[in-house]
Amino acid sequence: MTQVQQRQGIEQQSSQMWIAADYHFPSTYSCRIPMSSANCASVLPAPGPATVRLALIRVGIELFGLDFVREELFPILRSATVRIRPPERVAISQQLIRGYKWNEARQKRETIQESILVREMAHAAGPMTVFLQIPEDAGQRMHVLLQAVGYWGQSSSLTSCLGVMSTPPLLEECALPLDLLDDTIPLRPFFSCPVTEFRSNQLSWEDIVPGGKMPKTSALRCEIYVWPMVTEYRHGTQKLLVRAPLFWKVQ
Amino acid sequence: MSENPQAPFYEMSFNVLAAWQAHSLSTAGSNGSNRVMPRRQLLADKSETDACSGNISKHHHAALVAEYFAADDSPLCPACRVGDGRRAAALLDRPEYGNLSFERIVCECALCDTHGFLVTAKNADSEMSTGARQKISKQTLIDFSYALALPDRHAETSQLHTRSGASKEEGQMLMKIPARSGEYALCVRYRSVGIGADTEQWLLYVKDQALREKRHRAVLRALRDTLVSPAGARVATMLPHLTRLSGAIAVRTDVGRAPLYSALESDFVTRLQAMADETCQVYPFETIEAFYRLMNTFIATSVPALHPFWKTSQQ
Repeated sequence: MTQVQQRQGIEQQSSQMWIAADYHFPSTYSCRIPMSSANCASVLPAPGPATVRLALIRVGIELFGLDFVREELFPILRSATVRIRPPERVAISQQLIRGYKWNEARQKRETIQESILVREMAHAAGPMTVFLQIPEDAGQRMHVLLQAVGYWGQSSSLTSCLGVMSTPPLLEECALPLDLLDDTIPLRPFFSCPVTEFRSNQLSWEDIVPGGKMPKTSALRCEIYVWPMVTEYRHGTQKLLVRAPLFWKVQ
Repeated sequence: MSENPQAPFYEMSFNVLAAWQAHSLSTAGSNGSNRVMPRRQLLADKSETDACSGNISKHHHAALVAEYFAADDSPLCPACRVGDGRRAAALLDRPEYGNLSFERIVCECALCDTHGFLVTAKNADSEMSTGARQKISKQTLIDFSYALALPDRHAETSQLHTRSGASKEEGQMLMKIPARSGEYALCVRYRSVGIGADTEQWLLYVKDQALREKRHRAVLRALRDTLVSPAGARVATMLPHLTRLSGAIAVRTDVGRAPLYSALESDFVTRLQAMADETCQVYPFETIEAFYRLMNTFIATSVPALHPFWKTSQQ
């Protein structure tokens, strides 16, 4: 690496900032664990990083328009480091709901069948915080974007932004990929599960936005994340998760 | 609220505390027994509380608003006209809807437009000689949360009912059905700006503002009725007694979100009022008649806002 490249790298790093937004969940919400069945869905205590990025892209299109998001915001959003601090307490209950299931009959005619679906629903106490590491000059726009998020994933997971500030995350309070955790320290039985994340920080716009030629799923990958939450109480299919600090590997 | 006959509403949120007595509005089935299970949700403070799913309120709203659309001469597709919950997806079998497009669905059906629809994608099938189909969808503009009872303000009594069996031989059956009472926190969000539009790419398809206003008024009327005349499961014999309705309505008049805050927190109205600013008004109400009056004012004076991208194209 040349000296110029090294200097550019340092300059780029030094012009990064952390921005954080607190979100209130006004009611129950349900962010499905990837690869869990849509007909019997388990849920995350809070949305994962890909859900956060996609929500910001969606809100960006509403606020600034498709072209601006594609050209200006998307490169920032796909490469920003995302850290999520879950709410202090999350209670999860299983709910039986009615839903429609597509069936492909023998003659390959599609039919829709009414069915009973199982879906976990979460209820939170305390705000969830989303941290983004972004270039300093994008701070103002990102502030507006974070404030305008109204739901995560699907519109039944309503959320409301309580405030945005410039503050870095405490990593032991955030969900982290398994490989970032210190493997020399014994762990408590933290809640862990697969979470979706963007496949790379060089994805193209067409990889992500519906209407693109590539199937949307290939733009995402699943990673095991460990959430700083332990089960405090369990009764039947209900469980209560409370936040507890993680240990992490200093890099 | 000022009597501005053209107050543009971008988004609204309803943050409500409703008291329902002796109801069974939303249940979790019978689990194969002769006892109907109430719906329950564990809260983060470890208390288990009574709940009513948002699906049931949404169904109720959809049925009501379809009536208002019909009365107003707003268009409905053949599926929505007969209350088919699949909405636009139910049109796939009809030859006259072979070339289904987003624009056609949104322009020709006010219910698909406001409550959303999903036509799933499909690969081409050479055996059946059917072509590929692209996914066409619209997110609903009206979101209902679960109604959650205040943990120390709900109760349940198990009532013994008789029910006729499926045949004469089965005779009479005894059923235990819970009658539940409580004060429920409920949130509703309505994104009025999305009427007649694609809310993913923010393209306006219903360009006649008068048509959008008609749809908006019908949605508000149905929202008012959903809250003052609750409906759901078992209302034929257990129509709830509505004994209280209080809370706050937040209105965002320009781009952004109308804040939502749960009535599970006792200070929810104060917190919402603290979030008011020049583009976000908060209207608290203490009684059912205050809510009704407020809604009637909104119905008479509000219009769905135009997204900034569309204002320039309409000028």
